[in-house]
Amino acid sequence: MTAAAVRYRPTRDSALVAGRNLRVLRKNPGRMIYPLVQPLVLLVMFVSVFGNLALSGHGAGAGGTYREFLIPGIIIQNAALTAPTTGLALLRDTSSGLADRFRSLPMARAAVLAGRLSSDAIVFAVQAVLLLALAVPLGFQVRPGLAGLAAIAAVTVAFAVGVAVLSAWLALLINDQETAERVLYFPAIALAFVSSAFAPVGDLAGWMQPVARVNPVTAAASVIRSIAGGGPLAWPLFELGWWTAALILIPGALAARRWNAAR
Amino acid sequence: MTDPTAPLPGAAEAPRAIQVTAVRKAFGQVTALAGVDLTVETGTLTALLGPNGAGKTTLVRIIATLTRPDAGRVLVFGFDVTTQGREVRARIGLTGQYAGLDDALSGHDNLMLIGRLAGLGRGPAAGRAAELTGALGLTDAAGRMLRTYSGGMRRRLDLAASLMHKPELLVLDEPTTGLDPGSRQQLWAILTELKAAGTTMLLTTQYLEEADRFADLVHVLHHGKVIATGTPGELKSMAGGEGTLDDAFLALTREGTAA
Repeated sequence: MTAAAVRYRPTRDSALVAGRNLRVLRKNPGRMIYPLVQPLVLLVMFVSVFGNLALSGHGAGAGGTYREFLIPGIIIQNAALTAPTTGLALLRDTSSGLADRFRSLPMARAAVLAGRLSSDAIVFAVQAVLLLALAVPLGFQVRPGLAGLAAIAAVTVAFAVGVAVLSAWLALLINDQETAERVLYFPAIALAFVSSAFAPVGDLAGWMQPVARVNPVTAAASVIRSIAGGGPLAWPLFELGWWTAALILIPGALAARRWNAAR
Repeated sequence: MTDPTAPLPGAAEAPRAIQVTAVRKAFGQVTALAGVDLTVETGTLTALLGPNGAGKTTLVRIIATLTRPDAGRVLVFGFDVTTQGREVRARIGLTGQYAGLDDALSGHDNLMLIGRLAGLGRGPAAGRAAELTGALGLTDAAGRMLRTYSGGMRRRLDLAASLMHKPELLVLDEPTTGLDPGSRQQLWAILTELKAAGTTMLLTTQYLEEADRFADLVHVLHHGKVIATGTPGELKSMAGGEGTLDDAFLALTREGTAA
């Protein structure tokens, strides 16, 4: 049979998949509680419990209050804790048989991954905007004003997408939803604690400090603090930049390879 | 026994719908397919019959480009499933054992998504969805969330989804398993119509009476090998004539086990 080669439209297919994911959220609003409501509750609780503590003498937050130091950490912690939902959603589609349906269709297979990441990036952006909208009245001061808030939201989304790509690859490796639910959150929690999210690196236990220094959570929190308070920006931004690029490119390529392959 | 490689009258010019040659597949220590050869002629309804674990689903997944064979070759309308997956996927529809649909969307939204991903524009996809839900008795339910559907309704919607892009070959993996007799009958009425319209079908089933009533040709798969091929009538006479296809199947698989 001589037929014209079947041509795929990956961008269109990704947009269709992303549209489906957002439609599912809209029709099932309960699924928005975890990514959009819980972070707000966490922010209020963290700030109410720890926000009035004094910041000890180290340089990281010098001049500011612990509240101002803590809020960027909570924003990044929430991004790290929300990102594994990307991997879990892929596994949900796998176990429902929908992934096999997609993979048997004449469509770009990788569009399922790209569409998932696109719709989740929108969720991460809404999460960041809601968190910032609540953080400001709770005492988070951003000197450059609205432009600064927009920059902070962009940084948060970039970081979250990087972790989401990692979660997608790990989820496809684990290939079991229950195991993934138990496993994927652990590194996210560990990353958030072994970092400068909640305390300056110099105040952490000695063995934590080398890890905390190279941790992308530290880089992301530093970028946000520098944008908000006008601190040194170049180095943390560079660190966050290469971390995000590495997280998107390396696990991204591995995840796409695993997803596209017939096994 | 019918020579499985002889073309049916009238089918001489078109390539075979499916040509499976010496296909092997193992998952770790477990051999799922131990050298399978079979053909499905264009325009026929061919049944793949076999007990649980015979390798039916593995073979179906290989044909649908979801699983890669370790050895051997599978051509679908002349296109190789391992190197020309795109061409293959453009021509097949797959209905699985577990309905591959999104529970959290309506029936209509499911069909629109799958139709558009298969390449249809919005208008044609909506038209096709309306046509199929009408033909499958799902018009009233189309706006409802899938999770409110009964098992039979889900199966019909799954079939509709696999028909959105008008595939030339429909691959059905145990389409009637778990359905009540009424739903099974309803599904078979639809499949019979599809066949009359020229769609080639390969289906796996454990219900021998279905293969007996509807299939042009039956391949019996056992321990990863085709142990018999023929029309339902031929298989029955192979096993001594008098009995049902059930008797023939039991006789054949017993021999296959002893061998």
